[in-house]
Amino acid sequence: MPVDFDPALIGKVFEQTEPVKVTAEKIAGFCAALGEDNPLFTDEGAARKGPYGGIVAPPSFAVTFRNGRHFFSHVPRFGRIGMDAGKDVEFVAPIRPGDEITLSSNVKEIYEKTGRSGSMVFVIVRSTLKNQNDEVVAHVDHRFMHRVSK
Amino acid sequence: MLETTAKSFEEIKIGDTLGPEEIHVSRERCRAYAHQAHLDAARFTDDEGARKEGLPGMILPGNMSLGLITKLVTDWIASANARLTRIGTTYRLPVQPDHTFVLQGFITNSNPEDRTVEVDLWMENEDAERLVIGTATVQFGS
Repeated sequence: MPVDFDPALIGKVFEQTEPVKVTAEKIAGFCAALGEDNPLFTDEGAARKGPYGGIVAPPSFAVTFRNGRHFFSHVPRFGRIGMDAGKDVEFVAPIRPGDEITLSSNVKEIYEKTGRSGSMVFVIVRSTLKNQNDEVVAHVDHRFMHRVSK
Repeated sequence: MLETTAKSFEEIKIGDTLGPEEIHVSRERCRAYAHQAHLDAARFTDDEGARKEGLPGMILPGNMSLGLITKLVTDWIASANARLTRIGTTYRLPVQPDHTFVLQGFITNSNPEDRTVEVDLWMENEDAERLVIGTATVQFGS
């Protein structure tokens, strides 16, 4: 049975966050928590000689930018409360200390799959991260899975 | 950092491996990541809160698993003239802290036209269960 939802939902930007300032301290804290020891992300001296001319954030830092508090009120739910099923991230440009990142989100896709455990509805929310120069730094596709109630 | 790292696009062959890299994730480290990533849900910080949500206990944020798998790739690239352009993850099973995980990957394809390689990735527990799987694309400079 096809999933029932308003097609106007697809592609419509429902959220634009305020800019979030990236500091060297935030990057360092993130690296410490992740156990990151790559000098491109942790050592200013070594990073200066590297491809980016200075420290940049590890790529996965891109997924730490939070959607606003009303994010889920715009995302349709199907059946039981969903879970984070995975992510697809496209890294377009590095995130640097001093950057101010904004995030805008839209529902990219909704589809149903049937597995051994029953029917599941997947909602893909795409968040686009831009810096203070209006350059896209990353696209993050959040894949939420909802088990359909019987 | 990994002992074996990518040198250049020309030297990479399909079937080349990334890792295995063993990593122990403590509860403290899981909480530290959740704090840094502004993930304040109880399931990432305490067992009781996690059990109230029907989980077996505290779990790692999916983003943390993504971060660990991403690190395997960026460690492999190391100082090579290359960059990670894409990664995709699927969270198959809850990942609980206070366990030792193995991160691994291998090259599944290489495309000389755009100098990219495709990588399959996974994170498994002590019982060799694949908790998180993923794919990545790495682009090499000329």
